[in-house]
Amino acid sequence: MDRRTFIYNAALGTLHLGWSSQAAASGQQGASSPQAPSALGSLKIAVHAPEFIPSPLAMPGLFPGRVIDVSHPQPIRDRRIDQTAVRTMLTQGMAALTGDKKPADAWARFVSPADIVAIKVNPSSAPATVTSIALLREVIAALNGAGVPNRNMIVYDRNSNQLEVNGYHTQVPAGVRVVGLDQRWSVKGSSDVNRSGYDPEVYCEMDCFGERETRSYLASIVTREATKIINLPVLKEHNASGVTGCLKNLAYGSFNNVARTHVDPKTYTDPVIPVMCSVGPLRSKSVLHIMDGIRAVYHGGPFGWNPEFVWEAKTLLIGTDPVAIDRVELEIVEQKRREVGAPSLFDRNPANLGRSSDIERTAQKNPFYREPNHIRTASELGLGTWELAKIDRRKIVVS
Amino acid sequence: MASDTNWITLLASNDRRGGVAAPARKPPAELIWKATLGDAVRSSPVLRDGVLYVGCRDGRLYAFDVTNGRERWRYQAQAALHSTPSLSGSLVLFGADDGTVSAVDRASGLRRWQVEGAGEVWSSPTVYEDVVYFGSTGGEVTAVDRASGQLRWRRQMDARISSTAYVTEHRLFVGCGDGRLVALDRSTGKDIWVHRAADGIVASPAVDGGLVLVGSEDYFFYAVDTESGKVRWKIETGLGVTSSAAVSGGKVFFGGRDGYLYALAQSDGRELWKSRPMRAITAPPLAADGFVCVQSFYGSTQAFETDTGKELWRANLGGSVSSTPIVSAEAVYLATYPGVVYALR
Repeated sequence: MDRRTFIYNAALGTLHLGWSSQAAASGQQGASSPQAPSALGSLKIAVHAPEFIPSPLAMPGLFPGRVIDVSHPQPIRDRRIDQTAVRTMLTQGMAALTGDKKPADAWARFVSPADIVAIKVNPSSAPATVTSIALLREVIAALNGAGVPNRNMIVYDRNSNQLEVNGYHTQVPAGVRVVGLDQRWSVKGSSDVNRSGYDPEVYCEMDCFGERETRSYLASIVTREATKIINLPVLKEHNASGVTGCLKNLAYGSFNNVARTHVDPKTYTDPVIPVMCSVGPLRSKSVLHIMDGIRAVYHGGPFGWNPEFVWEAKTLLIGTDPVAIDRVELEIVEQKRREVGAPSLFDRNPANLGRSSDIERTAQKNPFYREPNHIRTASELGLGTWELAKIDRRKIVVS
Repeated sequence: MASDTNWITLLASNDRRGGVAAPARKPPAELIWKATLGDAVRSSPVLRDGVLYVGCRDGRLYAFDVTNGRERWRYQAQAALHSTPSLSGSLVLFGADDGTVSAVDRASGLRRWQVEGAGEVWSSPTVYEDVVYFGSTGGEVTAVDRASGQLRWRRQMDARISSTAYVTEHRLFVGCGDGRLVALDRSTGKDIWVHRAADGIVASPAVDGGLVLVGSEDYFFYAVDTESGKVRWKIETGLGVTSSAAVSGGKVFFGGRDGYLYALAQSDGRELWKSRPMRAITAPPLAADGFVCVQSFYGSTQAFETDTGKELWRANLGGSVSSTPIVSAEAVYLATYPGVVYALR
């Protein structure tokens, strides 16, 4: 694999990489976003990775700008996420995205039976607000319908303890592998007994706050094993990045050593998240994003331990464009925060800064100045559509 | 207390003590020793004859001298260990993520035999008389000869098996990832009865007083008749239940992913008390001599009075997903997810 090192800084930015900056000029048009300059020049990031090779499936994928917002009136029954309702939502949502009536045809646009499919879940809000087992099971069943056998699927995240406490290891069908990247034994039968879950040859290097280890390595599942990635983030606020959606779920769940990018009140999640998502293997293999918004979090994320800040949004957001989905997510969370009288995610009032423990107590306080404009920065890097006016948000209600 | 050979379920018996009596009720106040291992510890330690056995995700089974924490030996497996070891006679038995189950000599740490299967073995091997039983995430329930590892029978259940089997003279009870709780004929592996919960059963069943006691991911905790497979009683919790129950003195104790430790009357499922909410509890509790003790995720190790649920003590030493502490007359032994083993008194 040919690897090169790219440098981001104020002078070089996207030009050096030769990627289109289709949204750079229009990135300030979001209704709720401040008129902030691009963050790409704010931090020097060296990316050591294979060169990105454009393809129709690579982000923003087959349907740039399209977001299917599929809701169900009762996806939660008696506190449990209803498997049948999720099936209906996913089936009809995929049909709306692709135009294919048969689920197998819809999924065949993204995967083939020979693919090794990595499924990126979000388990960090253990136990209440995570990628639901119901959604994960339906995605696995849909992949089966497209001919992908269980043995070709890998459910993964950075933290194996969070995967385990949520029951991913034990509740998926037999044959599907569930891997925490912090495990040293990621591959059955590997002869390398000290194998790490990360690829030493693919990394982003940046010094955020003078930390000792300045490299963040990409998961070897992403670089070496998977041929496709299905991304299953959760609709929720994040105390540093504003929201944790498609982009952050992919970046911070696939690279290691990422917590170092935010030391309150400053966070470099913008531009680190979008730059990480631009790294060749992650960008080219992430072909479909299905955001679990059945239960959602408007404050206290990513952990969402206070149930007061969790609400039933009853939706899935489906698409191939992670920027467009995250932009819609941002609007949904902002709307909810307005409804409850919480400050905007773009808030810069120092009086609203609080300690980390405050976020479990009140929606008025946050330890960081959040950086939701990381979504816009991703658009500058060609990962998708930021402007609401250009996003084709199709709301459908199923029952 | 388990017999020298039979280890009929996870940690030997339904009180989940690991075969160790547990009279101590006072809070641990002093560190005797600690050991930092190469990776997370997901399983429970077990103790016999002054040696503590700990399986680690670094693929090693460690044997520590409990008096000073010195390592007596370590056995290097070829994959991560999530399975709680079982002790039977001179053997330590454990599963690994490469699908193998190994028998290692308790004194020397040398391997006696190894058997291969499909999928990771996270369940704990269960021993009854001369047979070892275990399930795997590849969907198999397997019975092998205790002395040689030779296959007796193998049954494909078509669902992940993470539940540790409970074995009686004639039957084997085990939960399946698709919600089945099955009673199999111990000698053949054939179905005797099947109870279907609405979601997966990951916990290890406890069997006492004619009841199979086990929680499910469907939020319910069940008491199922051992003979007929019919539900005698069930109670609903706030989220899924993966914590294997401890049974002691007519009471059933288990943790919920909703963060509560529950105490139920074994006879009818009546809730006797539940703890104040913690982070999710997925580990099995131990219950003994007036107190029940549990480790919680992201949290601490806590002990409660069995009759009232009053908190007796708490040790903030790192949480655990699936490990159960050992409380002996001399010390408390804890293995935590960050990979630290503590001996406290």
